[in-house]
Amino acid sequence: MSARNAILARLKGPVPVAAEAAALLDGPERPAVDAAALESEFLARLALPSVNASHDRIASLADLPAAITRYLTDQQEPLTLCCPPDPRLAACDWSAFTLHADAAADEGATLAIARRGIAETGSLIFETSPIAPMLPNFLTLHHIVLLAIRDISPHLEDAPLPGPQPRAHYWITGVSGTTDIEGTYVRGAHGPRFLHVILLQE
Amino acid sequence: MSGFTDRVDAALADPILKIAVERTAGTAEAKRAIAIDAFPDFEAARTRAAAIKDHVIAHLGAYLEQFEASAIASGAQVHWAQTADEACRIVIDICKAAGARTVARSKSMLGEEIGLPHALEEAGIVRVETDLAEHIIQLADERPSHIIWPAMHKTREQVSALFRAKHANPHEEETIAAMAQSARRELRGAMLGADVGISGANFLIADSGAVCTVTNEGNAELSLVPPRVHIVTAGIEKIVPSMPHAIHMLRMLARSATGAALTQYTTFYTGPKRVGDRDGPEQMHIVLVDNGRTKMREEGLAEMLRCIRCGACMNHCVVFRQIGGHAYGGTYPGPMGAVLTPALDGLAPNRDLAHACTLNGKCQEVCPVKIPLPTLLKGWREKSWHEGLEPTSMRWGLGVWAWFARRPALYRLGTALAIRAMRLIGRTGWIASLPLASGWTKHRDLPKPAARSFMAQYQQEQRK
Repeated sequence: MSARNAILARLKGPVPVAAEAAALLDGPERPAVDAAALESEFLARLALPSVNASHDRIASLADLPAAITRYLTDQQEPLTLCCPPDPRLAACDWSAFTLHADAAADEGATLAIARRGIAETGSLIFETSPIAPMLPNFLTLHHIVLLAIRDISPHLEDAPLPGPQPRAHYWITGVSGTTDIEGTYVRGAHGPRFLHVILLQE
Repeated sequence: MSGFTDRVDAALADPILKIAVERTAGTAEAKRAIAIDAFPDFEAARTRAAAIKDHVIAHLGAYLEQFEASAIASGAQVHWAQTADEACRIVIDICKAAGARTVARSKSMLGEEIGLPHALEEAGIVRVETDLAEHIIQLADERPSHIIWPAMHKTREQVSALFRAKHANPHEEETIAAMAQSARRELRGAMLGADVGISGANFLIADSGAVCTVTNEGNAELSLVPPRVHIVTAGIEKIVPSMPHAIHMLRMLARSATGAALTQYTTFYTGPKRVGDRDGPEQMHIVLVDNGRTKMREEGLAEMLRCIRCGACMNHCVVFRQIGGHAYGGTYPGPMGAVLTPALDGLAPNRDLAHACTLNGKCQEVCPVKIPLPTLLKGWREKSWHEGLEPTSMRWGLGVWAWFARRPALYRLGTALAIRAMRLIGRTGWIASLPLASGWTKHRDLPKPAARSFMAQYQQEQRK
């Protein structure tokens, strides 16, 4: 008998009733979020020490390069940016920047567009696709994320995409941190040391 | 003397170990308390989490088949292993077929349980541990001493000395931040050059075939995205029916483990790289590992399969806090380890673990899935008794006690005499040594007993 059949033979039992599994999710306990104030709820979580992200605000997508310039200049970083091949970004004037699509091993700054923000935790939600690589978001020192305010949702249950899943669906809730030496928190363990969220108002 | 008591003696005699364990476990305990205070429904959430796991365990076969079908539909390859050796063999075969010389490993307790680090070494495959704590213990050639903080037993001074000896470009400043940067420099290139990335799974999502990993360092993603092949080794109990079920469990896991509302990086991987994707592996393999879990389910340990490996039980255990993780001798330390190790490695060499417990119930109180750990530990004590594994002195001593206990008058006379004798020995208020009880008095003093036993005082009160 194959290992598969041997294991399954020992686990024979009733087929789960879908309604029973669904009932386990009725009225889930979760942190309260004021649905009428999603933006401020999200920003409050973003500022928590565990998330440790800064933020800025722009009125339209055309203002994005200026906001990134502000941030990188403040951080005394060059205007060099790893930028995803997302057609939405093509409308911006990037003439002040040196752009590239693939991240270097010691990438300085990477831009990404979050599909959703979650107020409950301050999480940013992403999926991989031909216009959204994953690796640059983990290799970079400064992770700069564009998020439309209308895409902020209350709870983690609002994060997943329905239907067939992409290769990776991922939630980023802060910077790369570790407490592996004596429980002391250090940021920038392997990936980003800085997370900067730019909120788009339009 | 058993291996366990030798290890405990060594741990208790190590003054640095106590400091190291206290620094991390103490911080974890305090942070968890703050997180739970901020989540008033946590008690109800624990009940729900236990119910979700119980539902899955009751229908485990059907959910595994559903997961397998979904994972295959997403392009992943699913393998099944009944034993640790079989699981390692499958992983090594995949590595060899891929022509892999280097693997990047993202911390997985299941990997430790099946002995994967050793198996890779035997196969001549270079292993790069990418979790900072796993990197520390790989450099030190040690085993993990905690399931969340594998290098909990090491102080910053010890880590500093280790990095200075082993890193190409070690830290200059004597700070923890500088040490972490030294590891970052050391590991970055190694992660990007690996042929295969190996991870565990925090959750397997039955209806989508997704595999969920959580880290705060982002090392899982850096280990699993660049290589050509991603291998997941996961215990069969990691299944949840759907994403919303996983979300509930994630809320419990992060708060219980580190006191955060969520881990920094939570990723759901579904199959290999898609057409047009700019990164991701060409192959994804998922190895579903039994290694004693079906037996646990059949033999009264189904509740232990609820465990989500948060480590809260050990952080709050008075015994763990004294002896650290290595003294337990198995892959898993603390209360959950004391229940799991006899199931995984046999009761006879591990019967001491169930006795190394004060039954204060703290582990059960903090467990996010309400595992009745003290009850399960008592179960191992009973089994050990019935299988004749308890030492002669214990059997004889309990036999004598039982003989007296069935004769109340004689029992009371005996305790009255014992009280008098103990009060004589303990004239200063404490008893530093006692015949037949050196195992207790070697490490601590007994208080002098009250003048009369509880029963004697109670009877006197009743007569008034």
